[in-house]
Amino acid sequence: MMTNSNQRVTQGQFSFLPDLTDTQITAQLEYALKKGWAIGIEYTDDPHPRNTYWEMFGNPLFDLRDPAGILMEINSCRKTFPSHYIRVTAFDATRGVESPTMSYIVNRPAKEPGFGLVRQEVDNRSIRYTVHSYATDKPEGERY
Amino acid sequence: MDDVKTVDLQAIVRESNVTAVLEQVDRELVGLAPVKRRIREIAAYLAVTRARKQLGLEASPPSLHMCFTGNPGTGKTTVALRMAEILHRLGYVRKGHVVSVTRDDLVGQYIGHTAPKTKEVLKKAMGGVLFIDEAYYLYRPENERDYGQESIEILLQVMENNRDDLVVILAGYKNRMDTFFSSNPGMSSRIAQHIDFPDYTQPELVSIAGKMVHQMNYRFDAEAEVAMGDYIGRRLQQPNFANARSVRNALDRARLRQANRLFAGIGTDTRNVTAEDLSTLAASDILASRVFDTPDSATST
Amino acid sequence: MSNDAMTSDDKQITDGKKRYASGVLKYKQMGYWQPDYVPKDTDLIALFRITPQEGVPADECAAAVAGESSTATWTVVWTDRLTACELYRAKAYRVDPVPNTGPGTKTEQQYFAYIAYDLDLFEPGSIANMTASIIGNVFGFKAVKALRLEDMRIPVAYLKTFQGPATGIVVERERLDKFGRPLLGATTKPKLGLSGRNYGRVVYEALKGGLDFVKDDENINSQPFMHWRDRFLYCMEAVNRASAATGEVKGHYLNVTAGTMDEMIARAEFAKSLGSIIIMIDLVIGYTAIQTMAVWARKNDMILHLHRAGNSTYSRQKNHGMNFRVICKWMRMAGVDHIHAGTVVGKLEGDPLMIKGFYDTLRETHTPQSLETGLFFEQDWASLNKVMPVASGGIHAGQMHQLLTYLGDDVVLQFGGGTIGHPQGIQAGATANRVALEAMVLARNEGRDIWNEGPQILRDAAKWCTPLKQALDVWGDVTFNYESTDTADYAPTATASV
Repeated sequence: MMTNSNQRVTQGQFSFLPDLTDTQITAQLEYALKKGWAIGIEYTDDPHPRNTYWEMFGNPLFDLRDPAGILMEINSCRKTFPSHYIRVTAFDATRGVESPTMSYIVNRPAKEPGFGLVRQEVDNRSIRYTVHSYATDKPEGERY
Repeated sequence: MDDVKTVDLQAIVRESNVTAVLEQVDRELVGLAPVKRRIREIAAYLAVTRARKQLGLEASPPSLHMCFTGNPGTGKTTVALRMAEILHRLGYVRKGHVVSVTRDDLVGQYIGHTAPKTKEVLKKAMGGVLFIDEAYYLYRPENERDYGQESIEILLQVMENNRDDLVVILAGYKNRMDTFFSSNPGMSSRIAQHIDFPDYTQPELVSIAGKMVHQMNYRFDAEAEVAMGDYIGRRLQQPNFANARSVRNALDRARLRQANRLFAGIGTDTRNVTAEDLSTLAASDILASRVFDTPDSATST
Repeated sequence: MSNDAMTSDDKQITDGKKRYASGVLKYKQMGYWQPDYVPKDTDLIALFRITPQEGVPADECAAAVAGESSTATWTVVWTDRLTACELYRAKAYRVDPVPNTGPGTKTEQQYFAYIAYDLDLFEPGSIANMTASIIGNVFGFKAVKALRLEDMRIPVAYLKTFQGPATGIVVERERLDKFGRPLLGATTKPKLGLSGRNYGRVVYEALKGGLDFVKDDENINSQPFMHWRDRFLYCMEAVNRASAATGEVKGHYLNVTAGTMDEMIARAEFAKSLGSIIIMIDLVIGYTAIQTMAVWARKNDMILHLHRAGNSTYSRQKNHGMNFRVICKWMRMAGVDHIHAGTVVGKLEGDPLMIKGFYDTLRETHTPQSLETGLFFEQDWASLNKVMPVASGGIHAGQMHQLLTYLGDDVVLQFGGGTIGHPQGIQAGATANRVALEAMVLARNEGRDIWNEGPQILRDAAKWCTPLKQALDVWGDVTFNYESTDTADYAPTATASV
C-alpha cells in the first residue's frame, strides 16, 4: 500500500481530489472541446513516473462537438480494463504548444502497489536511484 | 388553491424562440404545406413534453428519432437542419449541429472496420443530429455477410441508450424505406416521427427557380422566365427528375451558356458589358437545353 | 508643457566639411536625431524614459542617448569618415512626453525616447555585447538627470542568433508529465542555517505531500553550516524517495551559483550525476555566466531555474534603471527556463497589468503592442522556447483563485512559508496547497466564476481536506496591500493589487 497522504499515485491534474464523477468528467471534456483540443484515452498496468507511453484506447478523438461520445469511450475502456490506470489526455495542436494540455486519471486499481526505491551505492557518497514499480514484479496481464 | 401545479407554456415557446425557426421554414421553403404542418406539430409536441417534464409528468426522455421520406430534391436536408435547430432550442440536443452521412461513412470494407467507423460518426454527432441519407443501403439482404447489419446494430444500441445525446434522422425514398423498416422492425419501432415530403408541383418549381436565381444574383428576362416554366414542365416528365436539385442544375447550366454567349460577343460587340448583361439570363440560355430537342427526349443536359 | 522644452532648432549638419570640423557639436547636429527615420525590420529599437537636465531640450537629450549608446563621443572625430557611420549611428526618431509628468504633477517632466539601432552594431548571440551598447555608458551621462530603459523590440534576425530557453515550457511539462495546471513549489526555509541532513528533510516532506518542486534560496550556495555537496546528496535522496512515494516526477532546484564559472559547471555536473532534473542560478552571476549555463543545460537535458536576485536595485524605481520586462526579454534570449516574475498578490512589488506584460513576454510566441501592460512594441519571438514564470513571495492557498486568474496555468506557484509553516507539518502544508490548486483548476474548467466563488470553492474543499482547512484558518486573511511603484503610464484606469 502506498504511504503518501492519499495512498495513491498522484499523477495528473486531479489526483488529490475525490475520484471524478461522470458529470465532472463531462465538464472537463467540455472544457477541452471548447478549446478545440483532441482527446485521447490511455491505460496502463505500470504507472511508473517515466512510463510515458500508456496504451492508447483507440486513436485520439478529433473534431467532436459533444463530450457524450468520449464518455462512452471512457466507460468502454473502464469495462475492458476495470483494474488498470486510465487517463484522459487533451492535445493542443497550436503552434508553440503541440503537446498535451490536460491529463487526469479516471480509473485506477482498488489497491495500488506503488513503487520501491532501489539504491545503487557508487563512488563516495553518491547514489544511483531507480524507482521500481511493484506492479511489474508480476508478468503483463496478471498485475492487478 | 395553490395545489394546482402550473407551467408557463408560453414562456417555454417564447424563451426558446422556436417560432423564429418555424417562420424561417415557412419563408425559405416553397410549398411543402404538409411538411410544414408536421414540423409545427412536432415543435408543439416537444414544447408540451418539456412542460410536462417540468411538472414531473414525463419520466424518461421521449424517443425523437425521425424518418424523412420523399424523392430527391424535396427539401429533406434543409428541414433536417431546421429540425436540429428546433430540437436544440427546446433543449433536446445540447449542440444542435447536423452530421450528414451515407452508408459509406458508416460501413467498413473488411472485418472489424465497421464498428469503429460507425462509432466515430456517432461520437461526432453526439449533442446534435445524425442524418443518414438513403439509410436503406445499410441493409443488404442479398449478402448475408454484409457489414451493414453490424452498423445497424450499433446504431440501434446508441439510439436506445443515448436518447439524451443524439437524434437520428433516416432519409430516403418512401417505398424503399418502407421495405427497410419491414425487414428491420427494431429500427422501425425506434422511429417516433415520420415526415413525408411530396414532390413539388410545376408552379412551385418555377417559384423555386425564381428564388434561386435571385440568390445567385442573376435575373431572368421576360422571355427567359417563360422558357424556364416551359423547361420545368418538360423536365418533370423525364426520368431521374430530382425536384429542386434538378432546377439548380438547370440554372447552373444556363449560367454556363450565358457566360459562353457573352464571351462569344467579344469583338463583335463594341460596347462594354454592363452589370445588367452579366446578371441577365436570356431565353436562349435555357432553350438550348436538350430537353427541348425532341418531345420525348430521355436524357437531359 | 512648452514646445521649447521638447525641441530645439539645431538641424543635422550635412555638409561634410562643417560636420567633421574639429570641436564640439550638438548630438542633433551630428545626426543622432532623425524624426523622419522609419525603423527597419532588422533594427533593434530601444525605448528610454528620459528626464533631461535643466535646459536640455528633449530631442537633444534623446539624440545624446542615441549617440552615447552607439558611435558618438563628446567631440567630433575625423575617423568617423573611415566608416559607414550613417549606418552605425543610432537614430532617435521619436520623443513623446510621458503622461502625468511635468508641470501640474508630482513628477518632473519625462519623455519616452525611441531609438533605433542597426543590427550590425551587435555581436550575434551575446547579451553582454548588446547590453554593453544599450546600457553600457549612457546611464551615467550628464545630459540626462535620470534614464530608464523601458522596453526593447528585438528583431527576429537577432533573436535567431540566440539559443533561447534550454528546455522551455512545453518540453519541461513533457519531462515532468504534468499538464493543465500550475506547478507547485516551495523554497526551503529557513534560508540559512540548516544542515544538509535537516535541509533534505524539508525537501522530502514537501514533495511527498504534493509539491512538484522544492527550491534552494538565492543565497544558499556553500556556507559553513552546509557545504554544497552535502546539500545536493541529501536533496536528491529526498527527491527520489518522494518520487517513489507518489509515482510523480519531482525536482529540487539545486543552486549551482558559485564564485567562478568553473566551479558552477562542476556543481552542475555533480547535480546531473545524481539524476537531478533541474538546477538553479542567480541573476547576479551576470549575463555571460547565465548564457553559458543555458548552453550547458541544453546539452545536458537540464531545466535551468533563474532567481532574479538583485534586479530590484535597478528595476523598481520608475525614473531610473530598467524595467523588469527588459530583463524578461534578455533572459528569454539568454536561455533560462524559469524566472521569478511576480505574484501580483504576494509580498513583493507587482502591479497586475505590469506583471501580465512580464508573463506575456515570457510565455507568448508573439506579443502585440499593449500599452496598458507596458509592452511598447509588437514582438515576434522567432520560435524561441517559452520561459516558465515563477510566482514566489508571500503567497498562500487562500489566494488560489486570484493566482489562477491572474497568472494562468503555465507558472510555478511557490508557497514557501505557506507550506513549511503549516501547523500540522510540511506534508500537510503541501497537501493543502495541492488540493486548493486542483479544486480551483477543476472549478475553473467547469466554467465557474472562480474570482468570485473562489473562497467558497476553497471552503468546500476544506470540508473534506483538514490540512486545507487549517491553512485557511491560519492564513486566510493575510494580504499585502501596498501601492505599486512601477505602474503603467497608459493604464485606462488605475489598478491596485488585491
